[in-house]
Amino acid sequence: MKRRRATLTKKLIMTAAAVLILVLAGVYAFRHEESQAEKIAAPAAAAVDSSACIGSKEYMRANHMRVLNEWRHSSVRDGNRVHVAPDGRKIEKSLNTCLNCHSSNRMFCFNCHMYANVKPNCWNCHISPMEAP
Amino acid sequence: MIEKALKGSRNYWLWIGLLLLCIGAGFSAFSRQMWEGLTVTGMGRDVSWGLYIAQFTFFVGVAASAVMVVIPYYLHNQKAFAKTVIVGEFMAVAATLMCMLFILADMGRPDRVLNVLLYPSPHAMVFWDVMVLNGYLVINLVSAWTVLGAERKGVSPPAWVKPIIYLSIPWAFSIHTVTAFLYAGLPGRHLWLTAVLAPRFLASAFAAGTSLLILVTLILKKTTGFDAGNEARQKLAVLATYAGVANFFMIGTEFFTAFYSNVPAHMHGLQYLFFGLEGKSALVPWMWLSLLLGFGALAILFNPKLRQTSKWLVAACVGMVSSIWIDKGVGLVLGGFVPSPLEEITEYGVTLTELTVTLGIWAVGILVLTLLLKVAVTVKKEQEA
Amino acid sequence: MNEDRRSFIKKAGIGILAGIGSAAGLFPALSLEKTVLPAWDEKPEPGKHRWGMLIDTRKCAGNCKECVAACHFTHNVPDFGNRKDEVKWIWKSSYEHVFPTASQQFQSPGVTERPYVALCNHCAEPPCTKACPTEATFRRWDGIVSMDYHRCIGCRFCMAACPYGSRSFNWRDPREGIKLASTEYPTRMQGVVEKCNFCSERLVKGLDPACVEACPEQALVFGDLNDPGSEIRKLLESTETMQRKPELGTKPSVFYII
Repeated sequence: MKRRRATLTKKLIMTAAAVLILVLAGVYAFRHEESQAEKIAAPAAAAVDSSACIGSKEYMRANHMRVLNEWRHSSVRDGNRVHVAPDGRKIEKSLNTCLNCHSSNRMFCFNCHMYANVKPNCWNCHISPMEAP
Repeated sequence: MIEKALKGSRNYWLWIGLLLLCIGAGFSAFSRQMWEGLTVTGMGRDVSWGLYIAQFTFFVGVAASAVMVVIPYYLHNQKAFAKTVIVGEFMAVAATLMCMLFILADMGRPDRVLNVLLYPSPHAMVFWDVMVLNGYLVINLVSAWTVLGAERKGVSPPAWVKPIIYLSIPWAFSIHTVTAFLYAGLPGRHLWLTAVLAPRFLASAFAAGTSLLILVTLILKKTTGFDAGNEARQKLAVLATYAGVANFFMIGTEFFTAFYSNVPAHMHGLQYLFFGLEGKSALVPWMWLSLLLGFGALAILFNPKLRQTSKWLVAACVGMVSSIWIDKGVGLVLGGFVPSPLEEITEYGVTLTELTVTLGIWAVGILVLTLLLKVAVTVKKEQEA
Repeated sequence: MNEDRRSFIKKAGIGILAGIGSAAGLFPALSLEKTVLPAWDEKPEPGKHRWGMLIDTRKCAGNCKECVAACHFTHNVPDFGNRKDEVKWIWKSSYEHVFPTASQQFQSPGVTERPYVALCNHCAEPPCTKACPTEATFRRWDGIVSMDYHRCIGCRFCMAACPYGSRSFNWRDPREGIKLASTEYPTRMQGVVEKCNFCSERLVKGLDPACVEACPEQALVFGDLNDPGSEIRKLLESTETMQRKPELGTKPSVFYII
């Protein structure tokens, strides 16, 4: 019984030591990363009159992908191609509607997507603003 | 129980290593295919399915054939099959897994495979095939694993597993029927547009699948000393014989309908496969080899003396499996595409990439089967000891 | 992939400038397709229209490929120069291939030697949409058999199901095979099936399909099969026409005057 308890204590100490080493190694590794990592500047917002958009800047920033998804579904599959904005304006549901409006900045999509490291596959098929003449 | 697969002899680990090597090769070929597109395969605009879909069809048959041991053991209480049942069920698990992998390998956008479930389309046979194949995998794995687990503890299996085992019987028929319906409902593909396709699929499955099962039990006997019993093998051989006869009978009826009716579109597919069409005849030697092997196997199996000698039994089983592998795992799919619905003849030539991916999927299947059987054999041996 | 993308950019005509981030703002506007409101305003009524085409093969000239060129340029259909990877929306073929089940014996040479335009039939009972496990291909409200390229999983069941060979698969990245790119229409991506869309993107603007517009002989007539007063319906009533493989019950929306 005594011996068994002794081995148990030994095991506990060993485990604690191992965990401690792991934690220290982790902390060290990430500290290292942090000091090495470059500060990435937040993407500059394009100077576009955002009041022309179908939603507020904040709404579009958070939801543009949902809007595009919904547009795609309803225009391709149901033939409902007209979006009616809250102020009553009618807009064609098309990726090109967005791009043509945000045409003053070719990097409009890419700036944020690169910053957020998201890789939407729109441009596998659609002509991206970077490719458009 | 799975820990039993982690303890084995040197040969066992060498075998696992070899399979992992093949899987690695297959995976690298697959990643090349993903990167460059399916252009690296032999498929093209006219022959738009090839080895992958053909192999898928063959292995659905292998999976379905587990029913050939489940029916006699659980429905008819044939004790001779007691040791084969687990082998058959685990073979079904491995084969079903291979089917799914072949489908994935054939897809242009495997990353979107979940769209089949996100947008369920009951009018599409693929949707039903995905349903029944997944169901069959779960049913077989759960029932075999539970029964084996009970056996290890020396208790009788829980009552709930019985209905699942009974369910697996119609389910086995359903997987191969739905697979035949993938083909048999397409207008303009006359080789497939036949009501006899589903029965023929079942017959060829029960012939090739049971033959393969006999071979697996013989390999197990040789490598592990676990013997499923000669009586079971002989009974399986009889089943394979009649299933084989039914299969060749149905191929014969296809020939009659096509050639007696003399409808060109009905004849074209068979003409291309067995005689060549407009000078294109790449598959002709294969199809005749398939017939030769099949009839040779039947000749041996019909002779009780030969059938009871281990060597001849092995030869017959290898013959039957190869025959149906060629017929179903190559000919059937390609014959549906040549000539094309516009009567254009383009032949298909398999590529090395395609073969390597296929090898990899075979290796995955064999690996899964090895691990499952390792567990089963260890448990059975412990019980005997 | 990156290399191909770059070369595609060059083909699309902006070359070096595109790569320079600071160039942003130099371009007043992109010359992407201009969006306009469609001819119809809200959700269309299903089954009201059924678009169809009538091909007067007597007018079709032997070596002319204007319809094919116009369609394939408009829709960025790639050309790899080989049959295996071939993608096509509309093509010209011989009588025996376009009408393999039609009467072949003792036909007048004028009929058997003439070229025949083949394209998707936009069937009223399409076998392809039935076979599709994700409804990536579906019959639209206006009878067009459409593709949702975002949803296609590339299983090629529709290709096996189509009795007219109207569907093509992108065996490789299509952008490698586009010599002259149109910026008015997207390309497709590797691994999806594509086909003729009856120029649905032009129909919303009130235009005829590109092939109809391009035909110098006016051999192609496009219109609404559900409108008894349409030109196509009048021609169908006054002339003897045929469909491809009518015995399969697919009810094609493309008709031929032989």
